[in-house]
Amino acid sequence: MTNKHSLKKLLAGPYLVWAVAFIIIPLIMIMYYGLTTEKGHFTFANIATITTPDNLKALGLALLLSIISTLICLILAYPLGMILSNSNINSSSFMIILFILPMWMNFLLRTIAWQSLLEKNGVINSVLSLLHLPRFEMINTPGAIIVGMVYNFLPFMILPLYNVLSKIDKDVINAARDLGANGFQTFHRIILPLSVPGIISGITMVFVPSLTTFVISDILGGSKILLIGNVIDQEFVQSSNWHVGSGLSLILMIFILISMAMIAKYDKEGEGSAF
Amino acid sequence: MKKFISKIYLALIIILLYAPILTLVVLSFNSSKTRAKWGGITGKWYVSLFHDDGIMNALYTTLVIALLSAVIATVIGTAAAIGISAYRQRTKSIFMGVTNIPMLNADIVTGISLMLLFIAFKFTLGFKTILLAHITFNIPYVILSVAPKLKQTNKSTYEAALDLGASPIYAFFKVVFPDILPGVISGFFLAITMSLDDFIITHFTKGPGVDTLSTKIYSEVRKGIKPEMYALSTIMFLTVFILLILINTNPKENKKTEHIINSKARKVSKLIMHRLIPATMVVVIIIGGFVYSKTNKTVDSKKQLIVYNWGEYIDPKVLTMFEKETGINVVYEEFETNEIMYPKISSGAISYDVVCPSDYMIQRMIKNNLLSKIDFDKVPNIKHIGSQYMKQSRQFDPTNEYSVPYCWGTVGILYNKKMVKEKVDSWNILWNKKYKDNILMQDSVRDSFAVALKSLGYSLNSADLDELNAAKNKLIKQKPLVQAYVIDQVRDKMIGNEAALGVIYSGEAIYTQKENPNLEYVIPKEGSNVWIDSWVIPKNAKHKENAEKFINFLCRPDIALLNFEYITYSTPNVDAAKLIKDPDIRNSKTAFPDPKDLDRCETFKYLGTKYDRIYNELWREVKSK
Repeated sequence: MTNKHSLKKLLAGPYLVWAVAFIIIPLIMIMYYGLTTEKGHFTFANIATITTPDNLKALGLALLLSIISTLICLILAYPLGMILSNSNINSSSFMIILFILPMWMNFLLRTIAWQSLLEKNGVINSVLSLLHLPRFEMINTPGAIIVGMVYNFLPFMILPLYNVLSKIDKDVINAARDLGANGFQTFHRIILPLSVPGIISGITMVFVPSLTTFVISDILGGSKILLIGNVIDQEFVQSSNWHVGSGLSLILMIFILISMAMIAKYDKEGEGSAF
Repeated sequence: MKKFISKIYLALIIILLYAPILTLVVLSFNSSKTRAKWGGITGKWYVSLFHDDGIMNALYTTLVIALLSAVIATVIGTAAAIGISAYRQRTKSIFMGVTNIPMLNADIVTGISLMLLFIAFKFTLGFKTILLAHITFNIPYVILSVAPKLKQTNKSTYEAALDLGASPIYAFFKVVFPDILPGVISGFFLAITMSLDDFIITHFTKGPGVDTLSTKIYSEVRKGIKPEMYALSTIMFLTVFILLILINTNPKENKKTEHIINSKARKVSKLIMHRLIPATMVVVIIIGGFVYSKTNKTVDSKKQLIVYNWGEYIDPKVLTMFEKETGINVVYEEFETNEIMYPKISSGAISYDVVCPSDYMIQRMIKNNLLSKIDFDKVPNIKHIGSQYMKQSRQFDPTNEYSVPYCWGTVGILYNKKMVKEKVDSWNILWNKKYKDNILMQDSVRDSFAVALKSLGYSLNSADLDELNAAKNKLIKQKPLVQAYVIDQVRDKMIGNEAALGVIYSGEAIYTQKENPNLEYVIPKEGSNVWIDSWVIPKNAKHKENAEKFINFLCRPDIALLNFEYITYSTPNVDAAKLIKDPDIRNSKTAFPDPKDLDRCETFKYLGTKYDRIYNELWREVKSK
């Protein structure tokens, strides 16, 4: 028994090496850069740059926009997950594939396509003016950035929700009904609590990439709206200041740690994992 | 009723998801080269796509990286999932925690941390580093799809197999593996999808000469996406779409139809899963490899030349002509801004042979001893370059020893005559409230500050903090009026009548006027920036003589003319300018402005690290307001 198990354990060896080399060590490098000056002295100054009004504003705005997009994703995806989990297996797995499929069109092209859709003389406004409806101006506003975030990250919310919802035993729901619970009560007392792992996992999978994006805000925000991701990108690429860039990345890492803690707390069994 | 609502809801979400996809498909049939204008239906991009080596190479790299990284990640990840399942709960959760890091970590942090690792351990950035990075972020997807399946497997069947005398490996492949196979397959496909879709991590871990479709597209975003790119994405998307429909429709019919059809259908789907898909992959790799090896012939390294140029800044024909005439093999790399180019040269990580930076950057490179002197005996065609441009070059290259002018131009205001009725002759029109949301500014520090400084009557090389603060405040005041800060997208937006006024480079202005005759270009009376991009040879160039041959070739009037017609930026080659056939362009004030207009213009100068930082900080203040 023990022998067999240790043999099995060996299989995790290559991954262990890989994880140390390409996940742990790079993280340590970011910490090193973030906590030193250009001359290699220890400092907190890089991290402290987050307290400048500009950077705080960029972080605050990024938090606000990503929270809004996460909520919209949740509201859109939850009914979808319920619908899919109630339809038969074959058609629902086909639908799931339909939701992943757009990812095969390149991420940047998809975002640029939104630019074509939302522009002043873009597709949507042309259609609206054909129908003699009032035009709407969204491009280069925070609203357009939210559209881009919701669009790009919605599949990451749908998948984990669908996963937990389809695992809920139909007998449990029927039992609740038999015991006199109405639709709302069944949802509130049975379905919702059972789907918490999926909700948490979906929230983190949407929230983190939205918080850190810089491409979406560049393309759909007209570079007028600076998010924390843009600040970090500029530190690395434009000003070549790796130390400040790493310091700011460490701040982002805090949000990732919080997310991981949430997952560990609410999703111990990994049920809500997206895939 | 409930069913009906849910159907409608599904349909709405599908529309939301597929609207942009449909837009891209439609754009791929647009005969106009710019996204902003519909020029009628055409299929020509689907043809020219296959003649574009850059795109085909990027496609091949993308597919190979996606497949290789997915295969390796699937093997390592599946093994890891099995291994991890044998550990105790606590160790298991540590493992899963680590596994979650690349998935939850911001792409930008993962990308940067890997880049720092590769640089610290002296990996040359290139194909291998992209592959390593992709494997790293793919493994977690595999583990997370295999682990749940593993949990569902029945342990006793495996033990039973062992008791019946099967070896552990045999038992595993006969008993456990079929159970977890769906998880392994979905992990594999997720890995491919993620790898294809990734941009940010590739952006930071890639090296010169290697491009995936994502990075290729990103470098084109600024210049306007080539329509071939839309065509390629459409082909890729439709291929996958049709494959998936084939796979999925078959088993769905199984239940309802008769048994015979059932088994037939299963056979078909099996055929597709087990034969067709692997076969297509192999074919793709082989064909791709063929194309790739054709373009990357291993050549005598003496017969090589590594060129580092702005994006879309040379007629591709010129490169083939040069290769044919001299037998030198050109490796061609593009950069988007001077600031992105500079660290690549100064770090010495890659030895480029010939580079095309702008004036102030050349000054900085000379100052930091990064350039070598050009042997002008080997560049006799320098005689075709107008003396006024050599004189102007002395502002950044005082002895005319390091650089050969390639393109030049001014920065000015492009306006739409239909939307702006008044006379445009001053930068101050960009502060006119009438044009709120109709103004496009440049998304670059020096260009934007140049506009503000000039409008205030200061030098655009100002190093006076009061002047700079005044300029900053003026830019902040302007921000509510600005529609967007863009780089080369000014082009598409002005052509598409998206804005009334835009700050633009004169070369881009000529192009936009061809596409939209309502556009007019003007150099404001307060003066502006006149710039020169010149060829230089870095100190660590390995093929200096080839570089000189290349520069000499570009100075030939017929070649300079080809380039002028392709990139539409003014040429300093006076003999080439005489050859321009179209009199409208030959006499165009946009391409070749009056000397009196130029007298008011200044060249950018390198101001030193301290002022670089001050400019950057003030610019950030503007952007975050």
